[in-house]
Amino acid sequence: MTTAPEPPGDVPLPTGSTSPDVGGATDVWHRVHFISPLVRGWIALVAILYFVGRDWFEGLFATETRGRNPLPEGVGLLVAVGILVGVVVVIAAIFLVSWYFTRYQVTAEHVRVHSGVVFRQQRQARLDRVQAIDIVQPFLARIFGLAELKFEVADAGESAVRLAFLKLDDARKLRATILARAAGVVPDPEHPEEIVEAPEREVVAIPPARVIGAAVLSGTTIALVVAVVVVITLGIVFETPIIATSFIPILIGVVGAYWSALNTGYNFRAATSPDGIRVRYGLLDTRAQTVPPGRVQALSIIQSPLWRLKGWYRVTVNVAGYGLSASTEGQARATLLPVGTRDEVLQILALVLPDPGTPRPVEVFTAGMTGRDGVEGFVTTPRRARWLAPLAWRRNGFAVTGTAVLMRSGVLWRQLVVVPHERTQSLSIEQGPVDRRFHVSNLQFQTTPGPVNPRVLLADTATAWELFHGQAARAAEARRHGGPEQWMKPVPRGSAVAGATSRSIGDGPADGAASASPQHLTAEEDESSNEVPSEFVHEVDPTVVPGPGARLEDELEPEVMPDVPRYVPATTSEDAADGHR
Amino acid sequence: MRREPIDPSGLEWSRVSPKYLRVRLLGWLIGSLVWLVIAGVPLVLRLTGVWDSFPPLWIAWGLPGLVLVISIWRGVLLPRQVAAIGYAERDDDLLVRQGVFFQRTMVVPYGRMQYVDVAVGPLERAFGICTLKLHTASPATNAFIPGLPTDEGTRLREQLSARGEARLAGL
Repeated sequence: MTTAPEPPGDVPLPTGSTSPDVGGATDVWHRVHFISPLVRGWIALVAILYFVGRDWFEGLFATETRGRNPLPEGVGLLVAVGILVGVVVVIAAIFLVSWYFTRYQVTAEHVRVHSGVVFRQQRQARLDRVQAIDIVQPFLARIFGLAELKFEVADAGESAVRLAFLKLDDARKLRATILARAAGVVPDPEHPEEIVEAPEREVVAIPPARVIGAAVLSGTTIALVVAVVVVITLGIVFETPIIATSFIPILIGVVGAYWSALNTGYNFRAATSPDGIRVRYGLLDTRAQTVPPGRVQALSIIQSPLWRLKGWYRVTVNVAGYGLSASTEGQARATLLPVGTRDEVLQILALVLPDPGTPRPVEVFTAGMTGRDGVEGFVTTPRRARWLAPLAWRRNGFAVTGTAVLMRSGVLWRQLVVVPHERTQSLSIEQGPVDRRFHVSNLQFQTTPGPVNPRVLLADTATAWELFHGQAARAAEARRHGGPEQWMKPVPRGSAVAGATSRSIGDGPADGAASASPQHLTAEEDESSNEVPSEFVHEVDPTVVPGPGARLEDELEPEVMPDVPRYVPATTSEDAADGHR
Repeated sequence: MRREPIDPSGLEWSRVSPKYLRVRLLGWLIGSLVWLVIAGVPLVLRLTGVWDSFPPLWIAWGLPGLVLVISIWRGVLLPRQVAAIGYAERDDDLLVRQGVFFQRTMVVPYGRMQYVDVAVGPLERAFGICTLKLHTASPATNAFIPGLPTDEGTRLREQLSARGEARLAGL
C-alpha cells in the first residue's frame, strides 16, 4: 500500500479558514472544508435520525400504552439516546477520517487529490488538459456558503477532480489559479500568490419570466395536453371516472419537468472572460461553469415548434469533459443558452466562434437558423431526392465558412449545428442503396460525446465527396494553425502580428456563398486534394481565441475588461469586424 | 478497387489480404451451419413425430429454407464485401472504406488518434492476419481495418502512432 508522501507542512490545515495558498509554496496540501462531510452526508444523517427517532417515539408510546417494557422508564430512554448518540458518533468519525485523509494540491502543472483510508487513491490531472471547471452549490452547501469545484478533463465520464466542499471564495480563487496556470499566464514575480480572477463581462442574462414561458411552451405542455385528452377520452368511452386517477402520476411528471426547467434555467447568465465562457444559473442549486477557449467541440441551435411563436432558441454544446448524460444536471451542463432570442444566440455564437470566417455572419447564421433553400451559401438536398425527406429537403443543407461548417436540418424542430474546423475529430460519408438510387449521400461528423450530433443529410453525392475531402483538408489546415493549448501563453509578437495581418475578413465579399458552391470546389479539387482551397487559408486565423483583442492587452493591464466578440451585420462589418487589424 | 469519380488524384487504395476472405468464408460456413441446425430443429421434431400438429409443415420446411437462402446470399456477398474494404494513408489522415450496399468511407486525422489497437483472434492468428482499430476522442469513430497481414498491421500501427505523435493536436 502506498502511503501518501507526507509533505512537511502536513499539520491538518484548517483549510476552511485559510485560503489555498497556491501561489507561493506550491506544494502545500489542503483539505476541503471540515463540515463538508456533513453537507455531503446530510441525507444519510437525516435518514438515520428519522428512523431512530421514529423507533424511539413509537417505543415511547408502546411503553405508555401497554406498559410491557421490562426496563424502568428512565433507563429505556437512556439506552435509546445512547444508541442514537453512538451511531451518530460512529458515522461522524467515519466522515471525519475520510475528510482527514482527503487532501488536494495545486502545483504549477498538476492538480493532485489523495483520498481513501483503506483503499487509497492518488489522482493527478494535468492543468493544461482542463476542458471545463464548474463551481456547483447544492442548496444545503449554499446555506453554509460552501461550493463544490469540478475539474473536467476529456474522458467524458465523471469529473477528474471533485473538491467538495470549499468555501465559495476559496473555490473561486482555486478556479482562477487553475485557469491562470492552464492558460499559461506568467505570474507576477513580485506577488506570485496574487492571482486575480480574470475579469468578465456579462453578455446575456435571461429574465425569469422567459424561463417560465419557455417551460410553458415546451414539449412538456404538449405532452400534458395530449395526456389530458387521452385520459378524458378513455374516461368517456369506457365510462370509468376512476381513470382520472392516472392524472396523479402525469401531474407529478409534468411538475417535475417544469421544475427542472425552472431550476436549471433560472437566473441564467452568460459572460465572457479571457478564461473563456462563463455561465451561471440555478434557483436552489446554483452552478457556475467556465469553458476555456476552444473547448467547445460542436454547437447546436434548436427551435421547437412552439418556440417559433416567440422566436426562441436553445443552444447546446459538446464539451469533452461533460460527456453525454441523460440526467437533468448533465443536460443543463451541456446547455449554453437554455432559451434565447436570435440576437442572444448570435452573441453566444460570437463567444464560441469569435471569427465566424465569413463577412456576413449574421446573415449566414440566420439563414442556418430559420432559412431554407440555397440562401447565404447553403447547399441543400437536391430536388430529385425530395421524396426521401418530403418536408425537410429544402432545409437540410450545409454551408462552409472559413472557420466552421454549418449543418442545417429539421422543419418542425429546426436545428443548426456548427463545428469549428479544428475541432473535427473524424468524418465519414455514408450511402445506402436508396440513397444511391437518388445520388445522395450522408455525411457524419464524429465529435466528443454530447447532445450535438453533427451530420449532413441527403446531400448530392458529388457535393458530399467534395465536402468530405475539402473538410479533411480544412481540418488539417486548421489544426496546423490551431490556437495554443495554453490560451494566454505569451505568444511571440511576430506571429501574432502575422496572424493578424493575414486575417482579411473583408475580402472576397461572396466568400460565404462561393465556398460552399460545388462548381467552385471542383475547380480546387482538380489541382490537389490535399491542399486547402486557397481562399480558406487566409481566413484560418491562428491567433483567434475568444477575446483575441483582450489577450495582449491583458498581459499589460489585468484589470482591462475583455472585449466582447460580436457579430455585426454585413453592412457595417467593414469597420467593426476588422478592428483587430 | 472501385474508384469514386471524385477521388483525389494520387489516392492509392490498399486492399486487405486475400486470406481475410478465407477467414470470413470459414466464419460464414460455421455460422451458417449453426443457424441451419437451429432452424432445422422443428423440422426434425416434426418428421420424427415428436411434435404432432404444431408447427404446420410448411413452416417447419420454410424456416431452414429461409436460413439457407439468407446464408447463401451472405456467402455470395462476402467476396464483394471483402473487396470493398480499403484504406489509404495520406499525409495528414487515414481513409478507411467499407460496404457494398451501405457504403461508408471514413477519414481519421493522424493528429486526432488517441490510440491504435491491433487485435488478433484465433482464426485470424491461424491465417496470419490481424485487425487494426483506430480510436479518437469520439466513441463514434468506428474505424477499423480487418484482414491486414500481421507485419503490415504492425507496420501500420507503428506508422500511425509515429504520425499521430508528429501531428499531435489537442482535442
